[in-house]
Amino acid sequence: MALNVQTEKSSPAALVDTTPMVEFAGVSKTLAGRRILDRLTFNVKKGETFVIIGYSGTGKSVTLRNLIGLMRPDEGSIRVAGEEITTMSNKELEVMRRKFGVLFQSGALIAWLDLFQNVELPLLEHTKMSRRKRTEIVQQKLELVNLWQDKDKFPAEISGGMKKRAGLARAIALDPELVLYDEPSSGLDPVIAYEIDKLINRLRDQLKMTQIVVTHDMESAYTIASRIGMFYQGGMLQIGTPDEIRASDIAEVQHFITGGREGAVSRRSTTAIMKGRSPTFSARLEAGMDEAEAETTGEATPAIMELEPEPSPPEPENKP
Amino acid sequence: MKDFIGLRAIRGAGYTLLLLLEALGYINHAWKRRRALFTQMHVIGTQSLAITCFFMLLVGMVFALQTGIEFARFGQTSLVGLVIVSAMVRELGPWMTAFVLIARVGSSMAAEIGTMKTSEEIDALEVMSINPVSFVVMPRLLGYAIMGPILTIFGTLVGVAGGALVSKVQLGVPLDDFLRMAERGAEPLDIYWGLLKSLVFSLCAGAVACANGMRTTGGAVGVGRASRNTVVVALTLTVFLNYLLTSFYRMVKRLVAGIL
Ligand SMILES: Nc1ncnc2c1ncn2[C@@H]1O[C@H](COP(=O)(O)OP(=O)(O)OP(=O)(O)O)[C@@H](O)[C@H]1O
Ligand SMILES: [Mg+2]
Repeated sequence: MALNVQTEKSSPAALVDTTPMVEFAGVSKTLAGRRILDRLTFNVKKGETFVIIGYSGTGKSVTLRNLIGLMRPDEGSIRVAGEEITTMSNKELEVMRRKFGVLFQSGALIAWLDLFQNVELPLLEHTKMSRRKRTEIVQQKLELVNLWQDKDKFPAEISGGMKKRAGLARAIALDPELVLYDEPSSGLDPVIAYEIDKLINRLRDQLKMTQIVVTHDMESAYTIASRIGMFYQGGMLQIGTPDEIRASDIAEVQHFITGGREGAVSRRSTTAIMKGRSPTFSARLEAGMDEAEAETTGEATPAIMELEPEPSPPEPENKP
Repeated sequence: MKDFIGLRAIRGAGYTLLLLLEALGYINHAWKRRRALFTQMHVIGTQSLAITCFFMLLVGMVFALQTGIEFARFGQTSLVGLVIVSAMVRELGPWMTAFVLIARVGSSMAAEIGTMKTSEEIDALEVMSINPVSFVVMPRLLGYAIMGPILTIFGTLVGVAGGALVSKVQLGVPLDDFLRMAERGAEPLDIYWGLLKSLVFSLCAGAVACANGMRTTGGAVGVGRASRNTVVVALTLTVFLNYLLTSFYRMVKRLVAGIL
């Protein structure tokens, strides 16, 4: 990992070509009566690392699930390498997905296979490689994430961070064109998180992979992103290079990237989103103030909000 | 109306049936998935052998004791062998074995698949273009369908042995008499019928378990629910099917007897 990340960061966008790998156009999805995606539109260019940031529980994972075809949007179009995937049959999707590598939020390793077998699985299923060739590739991928010495362990015997790294090794086993990461660095210690960031940069530079990364970790976002998109209320509030995002004059973006230290808005309307009502613009931001706690519980909970009642008079709620 | 319970049940039944058919459609993957299949056969079959035998032994013993007491009033204790064998082969063997398997295997199978579902493993398989029905469901269902009848054979034999033991020790029926009557308790057709029933129960319970697992939502609570539903639904279903099958068999036998 001899890569110099610092210099990469300043002008990565210039390195990539401009054909879109992924195109979301007007994608909407309603789940359990809430409009999670609301005419979501953005493009991801070939070879770039597109980072999606946004408050917990707002629909970033849902965005990825729509892209993989695990969920189908209610309306709108999603194209991958120019091919419309929203109307694909399951058979066509199966073929399409071979271009994908996906790292799930929890790693999603198969419980009864050890790490070696987990990484070997896509090779076994989709190629006719010899055992030796497979072993070689598995070793290479596991060494990439520093897990070769643990190859005989089962998922239940390793830590959350190790699962995630093994999941990453499996995701890139077939050298996919497009890799999706759902919070690759959450649950990792800072050193390993940084290793993963360097790995993501290496995949972009050496293997020219297109990558979409969902993360809460701004440090990591700045390190890996060609462009950053701020997901907010079902759409992209702002898309720009790390520098543009850093210098953003949109209060909500500032609020998120500074971890709530800048651009804060009143707290009262937070309860609206927590209770599942259509939140006001600022309400969603409020939800993010407790992002760290929200993440450990899997979703933001009202209880967390009640810990810190707002002393100032509440602003009126906007109902739909 | 959306949560109308009958509608949910129908949808669940439909899903279970489709899943069963789909899994059977992947049976040509069995060789490719032989390792998973053998593991499942081991978990479902070998590991259930002891408990099945113990269970059936006691069922046979109690059954012999109970019928023996009644027969003794008419001085017909030697008939015990006949009753035990016919009941064991056609009814108790297949169904009691299914009962043990549902409790021991069905519930855990649903929980295991349910956990895979909630921890995104099933999603991960789909994303890797590995069909979860072929990868997860088929080996379990096939393993269940193979081991169910085999366990039934063991269970029935042990059950009869238990009956013979009680007959000899507690009812004073000599083993020779028991065996002589036992021979008349079951024809070959009865034995095949018993095994067929066991196969039907196994497929049924296996499909219910897998379907409940695959439809799991909502974390650990959902996994618990899937496991519980599996036991309730599979038991109800098999006991009901058992009644239908027995009625059907009786009808067929009478028809055949009428023709001959
Ligand atoms: N299958 C589903 N059915 C109903 N609601 C769902 C479903 N999946 C997600 N949701 C809801 O959609 C919202 C967005 O969920 P999502 O998992 O995309 O959040 P996220 O942005 O990835 O959050 P985090 O950063 O915590 O992972 C949540 O409120 C969640 O409850
Ligand atoms: Mg998420």
